[in-house]
Amino acid sequence: MPEPVLEVRNIHTYIGQFHILEGVSLSVPKGSITVLLGRNGAGKTTTLKSIMGITPPRVGEVIFDGQKLAGKASFNIAKLGIGYVPEHRAIFRDLTVAENLQIAERRKGDLAARQDFIFELFPDLKKLYKLAGGNLSGGQQQMLAIARALVPENRLLLIDEPSEGLAPVIIEALMNAIRRLSESATVLLVEQNFRMASRLADRYVIIDDGASVQSGMMADLVNDQATIQRYLGAA
Amino acid sequence: MHIQKGFQWRAVGKNWLLIAAFILLIVFPFLVGVLTNTDPTARRGLSVYWQGIMIELLIYGILTMSYNILFGFTGVISFGHALFFGLAGYLMGAFQRAPELADGGLLIGILVALVVCAGIGLLIGVATLRLKGVYFAIFTLAIAEMVYIFLSRYEYTGSEDGFTLAALPEWFDPTRSRLTFYYIAAAIFVFTFILIRRLMESPTGAVLLAIRENENRARTIGFNTLTYKLMAIVLAGILAGVAGILFTLLNKKVGPEMLGTAYTVNPLLMTIIGGAGTLLGPAVGAMGLRLLELQLRNVQIPLGDVVLDIGRILPIILGAIFILVVIVFPYGIVGTFTRWRLNQRARHAERLAKQAEALKSVS
Repeated sequence: MPEPVLEVRNIHTYIGQFHILEGVSLSVPKGSITVLLGRNGAGKTTTLKSIMGITPPRVGEVIFDGQKLAGKASFNIAKLGIGYVPEHRAIFRDLTVAENLQIAERRKGDLAARQDFIFELFPDLKKLYKLAGGNLSGGQQQMLAIARALVPENRLLLIDEPSEGLAPVIIEALMNAIRRLSESATVLLVEQNFRMASRLADRYVIIDDGASVQSGMMADLVNDQATIQRYLGAA
Repeated sequence: MHIQKGFQWRAVGKNWLLIAAFILLIVFPFLVGVLTNTDPTARRGLSVYWQGIMIELLIYGILTMSYNILFGFTGVISFGHALFFGLAGYLMGAFQRAPELADGGLLIGILVALVVCAGIGLLIGVATLRLKGVYFAIFTLAIAEMVYIFLSRYEYTGSEDGFTLAALPEWFDPTRSRLTFYYIAAAIFVFTFILIRRLMESPTGAVLLAIRENENRARTIGFNTLTYKLMAIVLAGILAGVAGILFTLLNKKVGPEMLGTAYTVNPLLMTIIGGAGTLLGPAVGAMGLRLLELQLRNVQIPLGDVVLDIGRILPIILGAIFILVVIVFPYGIVGTFTRWRLNQRARHAERLAKQAEALKSVS
């Protein structure tokens, strides 16, 4: 197995007085697409937020590229090379497509260097460049949210529920894009849509009731109907 | 060469409204002079009267534009903006009338006032910007009220009466050289507008808008949002201070009322009415509302045996206008118009895309 780019070791996260994550551990190998699976409310999104320092864990360690992330603010974590695409198509609705992309530049010229790749992945964005983000369709907004994470040189992309509420044809385009971008960055994905997840990911981690309960190769999980039924309730 | 010429004309075309407003601002005293057959350079007359009103509108415009940096562009609600407005007036006035500083007192006073406004903005920001929403607003209100109470009871600052300025140099005196003072106020107004426009068209401006929309999201992209919010409060504080200095010079007097909630609430309402988060909205809201207030103040309507004094029911009228504007223009006058135009453009782009798609399928 390639060396891990991200390691999460037994993290416990609280939101207010609620103990949300009660022991999540996972390892994301370099160059892989790893998916976090689990039922609604299992703690998948909180795991991504804990990695990004939005809801920092009180116990446990998050290590990115050999560096411990404890105590770092989320903007410093992002600067280390982690792109975060939150759920619900988290774009800036008042900014244009161009501004949404420009704002993600960490160094001058980041966008110029990667815009060909971005427009190749998401050709629609080129046509809609001057429109406000709020005027885009759901699928276009999701593409923009992912594209924004591609502007700077990120080595790890955390993508939360990219297929949520999208039409099948858009999901297919998104899957192709995520596959393409995994050629240059490691991807950790949260996905409810098991069909999409199983076709896309190399590896999986199942989170149940705030704890990681199982992980391994996706090819093995697809044949393990008992585990799928037990934790995901999907066939 | 041709490309450059074309571009310049396009820029003129895009900014025609601003250019027209700028020209109107320059010719305003002379235009009123011609229309009223009065001398704009004299000490009295209708042209000079209107210059005074216009100076006040410009000052309100600067104050409201400064508030818009915080409220409209960064999404930070402050209830203590009057602190900068009033304190700058007091500081400038205190130095200006200090006999030991002679003529240099005015300049020193202006510089000290602006530096103190920036410093206080920074201190308030460092201490409180981590507070969210209403908590930050209440903290700023508390600080402003504290300074208000202190200055209105402190003997050196003239207690509740405040104090008048010492004689100003003739060329700078709004009573003796109103026209010069008008152009100074107009130049500062234009400078403020251009400064804010440049800021909002820069990457920093985009980050401020991003913070307004979702601060956490901006942080996860890699921005230390606290730094940007600090910059916004410092800049807003300095510009409110500039407005306070101009206001004090215009009235040649400073008093604790300048630190009162009216100078926070009015810019807030004017920003909302004009369009929070738009460049022109706050200036339109401030100037429109203040002009309306000034014009209605002395109106009396005879209704049979009784005379309706509009000045006495003015707050009710202004309140009704505020409610009406908020209902009809939910994003303010300029904001609603801008959104309508952007939606039209988006629909047009969608229509063109559909037509292109249809043509492609036919061929």
